[in-house]
Amino acid sequence: MALLELNDVTKLFGKLAAVEDIDLQVEEGEILGIVGPNGSGKTTLINLISGYYKPTRGDIYFKGRKISGLRPDQIARLGIVRTFQSNVLFEGASVIESMMISSRLQYKTSDWQAFFNTRTYKDEQEKVVGNLLETLQLLDIFNETFRPAAALSHGYQRMLGIAAALAANPSVLMLDEPTTGMNHEEAMFVVENIKKINQQGITVLLIEHNMKVLLGVATRVVVLSFGNKIADGDPYEMMSKPEVIEAYLGTETV
Amino acid sequence: MPPAGIWIDGLVQSCIYMTMAFGMVLVFSILGILNWTHGQFYMLGAFVVYYAVTAAGVPFPLSLLISGVIVGALGMVVEKLVIERLTGPGYGLLAVTAATMALIFFFEGAAGMAFGLMAKGMATTLPGVLDMGSFSISYQKIAVIIFTLVIMVAMYIVLNRTKVGKAIRATAQQPDAASLYGVNVGWVSLIVMGIGCSLAAMAGGIMGPVQSVDPFMGRIPMIMSLLAIVIGGLGSLTGAIVGGIILGLLNSVIAYKISYFSEVALFLLVIVILLIRPQGLFGAAPK
Amino acid sequence: MIIGRYYIDQKSVVPKIVIGAVIALLALVPLFTTSMVTLSTLISSGIWSIAVMGFILILRTGQFSMGQAAFMAIGGYVSAILTVRLGLPYWPSFLAAGVISGIIALGIGLIVLRAGGTSFSIITIAFGEIVRIVALNWDDVTRGASGILTKPPAPITIGNFEINFATNLVPFYYFMFFLVIASALFFWQIDRSRVGGTFRSVAANPVLAEHLGIHLMKYRVIAFTMAGVFTGFAGAYYVTFISVINPLIFDLWKSVQIMMMSIVGGPTLIVGGAIVGSTVLYSLGNYLTQLPVANVQYLVFGAVVVLVLLFLPKGTGLVDLWGKFWRKVFKEPEEYEIPGEFSQEDEE
Repeated sequence: MALLELNDVTKLFGKLAAVEDIDLQVEEGEILGIVGPNGSGKTTLINLISGYYKPTRGDIYFKGRKISGLRPDQIARLGIVRTFQSNVLFEGASVIESMMISSRLQYKTSDWQAFFNTRTYKDEQEKVVGNLLETLQLLDIFNETFRPAAALSHGYQRMLGIAAALAANPSVLMLDEPTTGMNHEEAMFVVENIKKINQQGITVLLIEHNMKVLLGVATRVVVLSFGNKIADGDPYEMMSKPEVIEAYLGTETV
Repeated sequence: MPPAGIWIDGLVQSCIYMTMAFGMVLVFSILGILNWTHGQFYMLGAFVVYYAVTAAGVPFPLSLLISGVIVGALGMVVEKLVIERLTGPGYGLLAVTAATMALIFFFEGAAGMAFGLMAKGMATTLPGVLDMGSFSISYQKIAVIIFTLVIMVAMYIVLNRTKVGKAIRATAQQPDAASLYGVNVGWVSLIVMGIGCSLAAMAGGIMGPVQSVDPFMGRIPMIMSLLAIVIGGLGSLTGAIVGGIILGLLNSVIAYKISYFSEVALFLLVIVILLIRPQGLFGAAPK
Repeated sequence: MIIGRYYIDQKSVVPKIVIGAVIALLALVPLFTTSMVTLSTLISSGIWSIAVMGFILILRTGQFSMGQAAFMAIGGYVSAILTVRLGLPYWPSFLAAGVISGIIALGIGLIVLRAGGTSFSIITIAFGEIVRIVALNWDDVTRGASGILTKPPAPITIGNFEINFATNLVPFYYFMFFLVIASALFFWQIDRSRVGGTFRSVAANPVLAEHLGIHLMKYRVIAFTMAGVFTGFAGAYYVTFISVINPLIFDLWKSVQIMMMSIVGGPTLIVGGAIVGSTVLYSLGNYLTQLPVANVQYLVFGAVVVLVLLFLPKGTGLVDLWGKFWRKVFKEPEEYEIPGEFSQEDEE
């Protein structure tokens, strides 16, 4: 059984279908690339899985449990965490503060223990901060730990977004176009980091409209066009499929 | 079924709430903030009309226009001196909300010091009633209804037919795009604030003969028009109009049915509406 | 935990020793002076500061409550009705005031926080009006417009030393002092704990916070309820101090006054800002009401708030001004705040 399963999921905005009858299985441990031209429903798909939108029809299952209809925070608690396309996390916060805020799900202590600053809470906090620093180290932004997040370069800000999502202890990480607005070098930095994250045993769902980025990293690719799934399989095979080339013609060079 | 007089009273209130709410939403759609001082512009407008009519002997319709101009200009001053300086990058809603709320008391205090705390009547303006057989309507109330119709038609024409109106609507939808096409967003904000405040002032002026004029008269219309906006959906002009009509009529009818806790019933009704539709009747549906 | 310059850590602005000295000085005030005016100004300021702390706590979650005076009214009426009309002893009634106010805040919060934002502010105004109208019209319980004359707590005798609230302001002063310290410790602790950080994340980026596993409604309701409890205590004690409660005491103007106090003091510091703001504005108001000009208090309050907002940087209020002064005098560099507990890890 797949880790994450979408069964005939449809989302309508008025009469317009943003995604239509999508069937999708995400296997544990893979890096699944979801690709398609702008407006093909990629981000809507993430919004549906993360609970930001409720599907109009169809169900979403995670580890055999139905998650469509749950709130985003409940879904995050189950282990599906996403990033956003915007750079700003928490206005005015430094890198480590952003990470601390995002690490809420790593704590097992209750808010009362946190309030009274008990021994158990302090120990746990020490552990969590250690984990957070490790995450920053893993993603090569450790040197920025104490800088205001807003002062980071664009690429580092996107990495911080990913680091914050990792701070929430995901088993499935959904990345929403992590390389937009980056040159090739920066994009490769992100790709390397995605591989590192995947090696930690985290399943990655990677939304991209740049096929080149996906080729280097994805183990499987799903192509969307106008809200429909038109292809599913090995990234290199995708390149040669006529329907994929057609979907991309005029919008993006493959 | 309540008698016709109750419905007429409700309609008169509806007209006022509608005009006030319309101005507030207009300002909200451009500046992105609620002008909490709106009720005090209503009160100042009523005072301008009162003094124009009783002290200077200006005819009532003309004094309405004068109050619209004077208070509209005051609104622009407030926009320029306070609101503009408290909005922009780095400022949350907190600063500007707090400032416009503080201005409520600034203007009430100023009016109290300048004009005294006693309620002033101007019931002799537009005396007489129109006999409709089973019931009668005072000319003052007819004036309110006609005035509101004129204002609404005028606003419709301004927003849809004139260059200024098109600039306003463009800015409301896409501020960035509008500024790229040569619309000066700063000017549009100023004009919209002027229009909104002069609408409030004229509404206060036209209500002057119906009720009495005092420094605190703006509070209830303000709360009611705020509730009208919430019912209608924040940011929707249609919502402001419909919300104003609903609230005015409800207020009057509920007060007729249960005299004791009528406002409480009204407020609870608003809360129930919001529980069912948190975004209001005409608000954009949440995702 | 701190987010950005909006939320300056208290210890970085004012050293602990200065805070301690100020507290000690305030504790000794009744020894220097028995002046009615000084003591009652301080007592009232202290009580209002508790309500202001509650307001700031709600503000931390990004909500702007305009009905806080209504919770003071609820606390005040509960304690007045229990002590005067039902003849219960004072202290249990005082506790009940906070608890009932908190329960009502919980109920109201669960309903109106769903709307959030501007709608929330508007509905809290309506809620304040509901409380006022109910108090005005529910004659059998609240005695309508004439209100209830409250009773002070019964004298406490320890040996041959008697603490009598009825004849002397000093016990009032010290209980206010205790109440403010207790509330301040609570609000300060919650604000700097993980919960406070969560509140801020809910305000700073609700969508992201929700996707990181934070239940927005839960934390908004927690903040609103806690504010409700303490505001209820403040109301109960305030009406005991002024010895009367009627519907006019806690009207919309008082809710706005609470907001104004937080702005003037500076909502960046939940305790410091609340105390500075309420003391400054309350003393100012006290002075202004003695002037022979009607309504000047409204005018000046309005003007002060607008001026503070316009001329102090980005709504950080008077406490930030103090922080600036402190840094200038002691030449402390104005650098980016680093939470203390991480500085050791830096060296690894």
